[in-house]
Amino acid sequence: MSYFDLTFYVFAIGAVVSAGMMVFSRNLIYCAVGLLFALASIAGIYVLLGADFLAATQLLVYVGGILALLLFGIMLSVKFTGVELRTGTLQMLPGLIIVAGLFLLLLRMIYRAEWAVQTPGDMLPTTTTIGKRIMTDLLIPFEIASILLLIALIGAAYMARRERS
Amino acid sequence: MEFSHFLQINLASLPYFIPELMLVATLLALIIIDLVMKKPSSSGWLAVVALAGVLITLITVVNQYNLDSRSLFNGMLVLDHFSLFFKVLFLLAASLAILFSMASIELAGRPVGEYFTLLIALVLGMFLMAASTNLIMIYISIELVSISSFVLAAYIKRATRSSEAGLKYAIYGAFSSGLMLYGFSLLYGLTGTLDLYQLANLLSDAVAQNPLVVFLAVLFILAGFGYKIAAVPFHFWAPDVYEGAPTPMTAFFSVGPKAAGFALLIRFFVSGMSQPSLVESTVWQAIGNVNWPQLLAVISAATMTLGNLIALVQNNVKRLLAYSSIAHAGYALMGTVVLTQEGYFATLFYLVAYYLMNMGAFLVVIVFQDLIGSEKIDDYRGLGYRAPLPAVAMGLFLFSLTGLPPTVGFIGKFYLFAALIKAGEQYYWLAVVGVLNSVVSLYYYVKIMKYMFLDRPSEEKATALPVAFGMNIMLIVLMVPILLFGLYWAPLQEFTRNSIQFFTGVF
Repeated sequence: MSYFDLTFYVFAIGAVVSAGMMVFSRNLIYCAVGLLFALASIAGIYVLLGADFLAATQLLVYVGGILALLLFGIMLSVKFTGVELRTGTLQMLPGLIIVAGLFLLLLRMIYRAEWAVQTPGDMLPTTTTIGKRIMTDLLIPFEIASILLLIALIGAAYMARRERS
Repeated sequence: MEFSHFLQINLASLPYFIPELMLVATLLALIIIDLVMKKPSSSGWLAVVALAGVLITLITVVNQYNLDSRSLFNGMLVLDHFSLFFKVLFLLAASLAILFSMASIELAGRPVGEYFTLLIALVLGMFLMAASTNLIMIYISIELVSISSFVLAAYIKRATRSSEAGLKYAIYGAFSSGLMLYGFSLLYGLTGTLDLYQLANLLSDAVAQNPLVVFLAVLFILAGFGYKIAAVPFHFWAPDVYEGAPTPMTAFFSVGPKAAGFALLIRFFVSGMSQPSLVESTVWQAIGNVNWPQLLAVISAATMTLGNLIALVQNNVKRLLAYSSIAHAGYALMGTVVLTQEGYFATLFYLVAYYLMNMGAFLVVIVFQDLIGSEKIDDYRGLGYRAPLPAVAMGLFLFSLTGLPPTVGFIGKFYLFAALIKAGEQYYWLAVVGVLNSVVSLYYYVKIMKYMFLDRPSEEKATALPVAFGMNIMLIVLMVPILLFGLYWAPLQEFTRNSIQFFTGVF
């Protein structure tokens, strides 16, 4: 096993375990911390795949920005800290069967398929390519994404505003 | 390729992008007017500006009809008659939704700046959905539609059920988007391309393609599309969202985003998952070693059956119409399984018919909601005597939804069944399911009419209801085309038939 593989498995196992912690924990703070590690591990995998910009964005935006906000949100709303979440599991058996079936199916698919594999070359910074493509063939998705964000902002501001009665 | 080459293509595409730019301009104008003008007096102006923007966009869209099909912005979008057809439909639906919103008292006294801004953004998203030929563009346009709809569904903040509608819409939307993205990633991993035309090329080349991957990819992607058209089993959000959202928005959701979902579904399967048949020019063949038409047929049958059966036991008219709209998505899907020009024509024709009759039915719900403050079937008792015109209109819309002559609903269903029968024995069973479902649907549609016309109103409620003049006009405006196209549908048929022109790629 090369160092590359070893690093990959460390991050992969880290992502799965912390994702599990996020889903199964009953304490919101633990959930948030689980999410933090899951996102950070994924960022590690991005680095291994040579996607440096994506990894940095993942860390800055998700781990640094959104998650910090999420934690603040939980801690500021006093009601939530320390309160046991009331979660229940419905339809345990059918759910398990479907999930296990889907898992096996996906596993089979991943091993059987002939993926269009690309061997990574030298690890070069990707920012130039990303910048160029956003300004050329991906221009329209980029511009529409800005409208999408504007709309999301307007919608969020509306939802958060107190309604005058 | 050269940097400047891409830029030139982008610049050259701009003149063909005028309708979308008009929508963006309207959107920005709405935001500015909302900021500048004083609050209570501005709401009428906002509606007028939104309506004017939609109508000007309609003119620019109609102007594009004399242009040739072409690819825009380096293969991100296309301009063809198929997308123009849907753009016209979206704009007509949006203008009615704006009129409904102005006429209804549900939104009176609320700030409407954000409301119309979000509505215009939603229309922009639907425009892009109908024209996207790239998986990234498809995803972004779906998200633009979804995010605006979440907020619009939850627009009445004090009402718990409206907030519930928004939250459920958002959660289901996020979930199905996630599944769809996974499907996209599988296709990308298999072919290394996001462009639909290249995807079709690569999938048809690899004869020994592992069918399991393509099948799962299609299944996951259908989760995203099925969510937009509210097809079983991705329909769970629909009843709650339709019931909780402001009724003008419910009317719009049941027509606009659903039609956009159909546009996307048809384009994805025609351009990305099939190739023109070598034998006949009006028929396509499925590629990728997967019998996805059969999958669509099963979804179609399940959608109409489940929608109709659950609609039978509803006692809230908005909920009932929600389940009925699920069932209608199933009917419209019938046209997409046969992969013929005839089938797609039938689906498009049915969507127009569905737009007229469903908008009409929801308009009557709005009228009654404003007058009696309820949408329970029980409270509809005797409304035929108290408000004759809306009740008669409702009767016509429901007849059309059932598919009885002489309404446009009948013609639409007729074309759907005809397309299935023409395509051969393989899908006779689906036609039979469709006919049986129409019979089932008759029961609950007639139930509403029984309450309105056969039951007398109770003594203390026997007064006539004052229906607003504007509402009466809108009801008549919607009733006329339903009857007209039910008797003389040749112009609509010709218009729709001309719309089955897909841009075929640049290879």
